[in-house]
Amino acid sequence: MANDVKTGSETIGAAGTKGKMTLFKDDRAEDIGAIIVTVIVVAIIVLMNMK
Amino acid sequence: MSNESPGFFRQLPSAIPGLALIVITMVVIRNWIEPWMGSAEVFGTKGWLIKVTHLNYILLGIICGMLYRNVIFGGKMPEVFSNGFKLSRLMIKTGIIMLGSLYTFSAIVQLGAMAIFLIGGFVVLTIIMVLWLGKVFKLDRSMTGVLANALSICGVSAAVATSPAVEAKASHVAYAIATILGFGILTMFISPFIGHALQLTDMQYGAWIGTGILNSGQVLASALAFNPNVAPGTAVSVAEIWNIMRVISIPFAVFAVTVWYWAGKAGSEGSKQKSLGTLLVEKFPVFVIGFMVMVFLTSMGAFGDVGIKGGPPASDTIKMLRLWMTWIFGFGLVGLGGYIDFKELRQAGGAPLKLGLIVGTTKYVLALIVVLIIKDYLVAI
Repeated sequence: MANDVKTGSETIGAAGTKGKMTLFKDDRAEDIGAIIVTVIVVAIIVLMNMK
Repeated sequence: MSNESPGFFRQLPSAIPGLALIVITMVVIRNWIEPWMGSAEVFGTKGWLIKVTHLNYILLGIICGMLYRNVIFGGKMPEVFSNGFKLSRLMIKTGIIMLGSLYTFSAIVQLGAMAIFLIGGFVVLTIIMVLWLGKVFKLDRSMTGVLANALSICGVSAAVATSPAVEAKASHVAYAIATILGFGILTMFISPFIGHALQLTDMQYGAWIGTGILNSGQVLASALAFNPNVAPGTAVSVAEIWNIMRVISIPFAVFAVTVWYWAGKAGSEGSKQKSLGTLLVEKFPVFVIGFMVMVFLTSMGAFGDVGIKGGPPASDTIKMLRLWMTWIFGFGLVGLGGYIDFKELRQAGGAPLKLGLIVGTTKYVLALIVVLIIKDYLVAI
């Protein structure tokens, strides 16, 4: 039982995949996803403001 | 039974309906509801709804998310919207990384030194208090261990990160999370009122909630509810530095509580302990690295002038970054509201709830007192 709470399973009372509050496999994958999204967003903003 | 879920990209198309609901909600709030609230005359006062209730797009977004789940959809997010709402934390983390564009390294050093002092003190004191109260209330050691980190660092993430290290059951984590989220929701809504009533500055308010509120998402929501502006020196810029410091401390706190847990188990299988180095590698929140890269790029002038008070105005790139950030946070917090389930919050109860409320309230009030005492030493950026 000790390991039935997966990282990223942040919905209350629901361990494992069913209650996960993320589409990623764990918190670390979500962190990397956030970095990639930021790179894309910042690149778009910089390009839009290029003179 | 396997816990494996389908990959991110395979699930992404199914996230579109939920994402659309989140985006439409925030667009309606910002373009129609908020402007209407600002101009509507209530009790003979124009803009009463905003001046008195301090409702803004952030709190309205969270309330809408809560209404979707608990009222409109009867307590459970429908399958069709579920995956879209699962992107809310991704959006919040993306926004926090982008927040790096508010700071230069000198501001980080200034704020960070104060944050380390306050956060470090509160993390240690909270852990000690929870471990002591756990003994007083005769709580299971695993439950106490999970609560110690949940209440001392950043709530949900810390509870989940600690659980395997202290052999916690799913029910322990559920109790801990229900307790801290219940308390956090209360503080998220009352803090802006208290802040305005006490006429706190953005700096004081940010330092207080960054220390006193338990959960990262709630710190963000509470800061933006106090002052929705995203710029250097605003409540969100201060609170998030505090929050980042707290998030960074997760592996250290997990290590400390793990050592306490296994030290107390007579004849324990000490081999289950993990070294601090292993925990640092496993648990370090890597989005913080993204945040630091943004600070570095901003400090190097990659996006132009940042618009610090007394300096040149912010560049168009920086202005656009900040505008987009407010939208990304808005989307993320509608999603966060959709994860507040009143039925699940009722799971909290008994001794863990009592302990959580005692420690949470002590921390919340003490943080305010400390901030008021040291307010002259809090340097604006």
